[in-house]
Amino acid sequence: MELGKIEKLLERYDEGETSLAEEKILREYFLREEVPEHLKSYQMMFMFSTRQADEKLEEEPNISKSRKDWYSWTAIAAILVVALGIFFFNQPERMNHNDLGTISDEQQAYEKTKETLNMISQIMNEGKSDLVYLKEFNNTKDKIIQID
Amino acid sequence: MKERTFLNIIDPVKDKMYRLALRLLTSKEAAEDATQEVILKLWSRKEKIKHYANIEAFAMTVTKNYCLDQLKLKYNNNMRIVHQNYESNHPSLQSEIEVNDEMEWLGKIVATLPEQQKMIFQLRDIEQYDYDEIAEIMEMNQTAIRVSLSRARKAIREKLIKKHNYGIR
Repeated sequence: MELGKIEKLLERYDEGETSLAEEKILREYFLREEVPEHLKSYQMMFMFSTRQADEKLEEEPNISKSRKDWYSWTAIAAILVVALGIFFFNQPERMNHNDLGTISDEQQAYEKTKETLNMISQIMNEGKSDLVYLKEFNNTKDKIIQID
Repeated sequence: MKERTFLNIIDPVKDKMYRLALRLLTSKEAAEDATQEVILKLWSRKEKIKHYANIEAFAMTVTKNYCLDQLKLKYNNNMRIVHQNYESNHPSLQSEIEVNDEMEWLGKIVATLPEQQKMIFQLRDIEQYDYDEIAEIMEMNQTAIRVSLSRARKAIREKLIKKHNYGIR
């Protein structure tokens, strides 16, 4: 390719008027041949654009497991867990409402209540007996602090 | 549309989408994320896009808009955008360090261009789209694209010459 022709093409290239075919001629010229000093800058540009086209996306596009899908599935799973949880934990309570262990015979009820109350007072007394030691605090305190 | 069919359509475009994202965004990671997001977006609209005549141009438009949105978000967050150097890992045509330096410089120069010129330069000189397709992707008319491209080409070379004193044209 003669230099004159190349220079003409370059002029049009600068104006954005060259066709793809003409740009291909220029690219081939600059990538193949030694060029005169004053055209070196063009050579660099064509080299640059050629090399930049080698850049590749390294990871494969992944559409099957999109994040959005994942989110919606976790949401559904969470709702299921909560719903099932409420359902199963309510079950035993509902049974208890019907069977509170009410005694219908009066005498028996009286005995049972007495027994229960006795048990409570007994436990209370046992607990209270331990409180005797608290008196010691007062005794000791009185020895140290004299209030007249 | 089946997953396989969709991926087959996307496959030849995905590198171009990635490179456009890379031209606009700050890092490889950001560009990879953007590409992935755009592909997901396209997949979610798969029923619509199968009627499109030019899915590739549409995919590129969505990529462009997505990246510009990302940039706007970053500006709004007052984040400084620093264009990192992304050197190609691939073996080069000529392995001289000097040439690699030049390429790095050119990357920096292109990064200083306005977004629109950056994109048009990318689409034309790197991806070699014709003007019809660029007009479709950029949602601009062809005259405006030629003007913008011409400005980009001249600006790049001017800065290159200024930096390295490659003599007068």
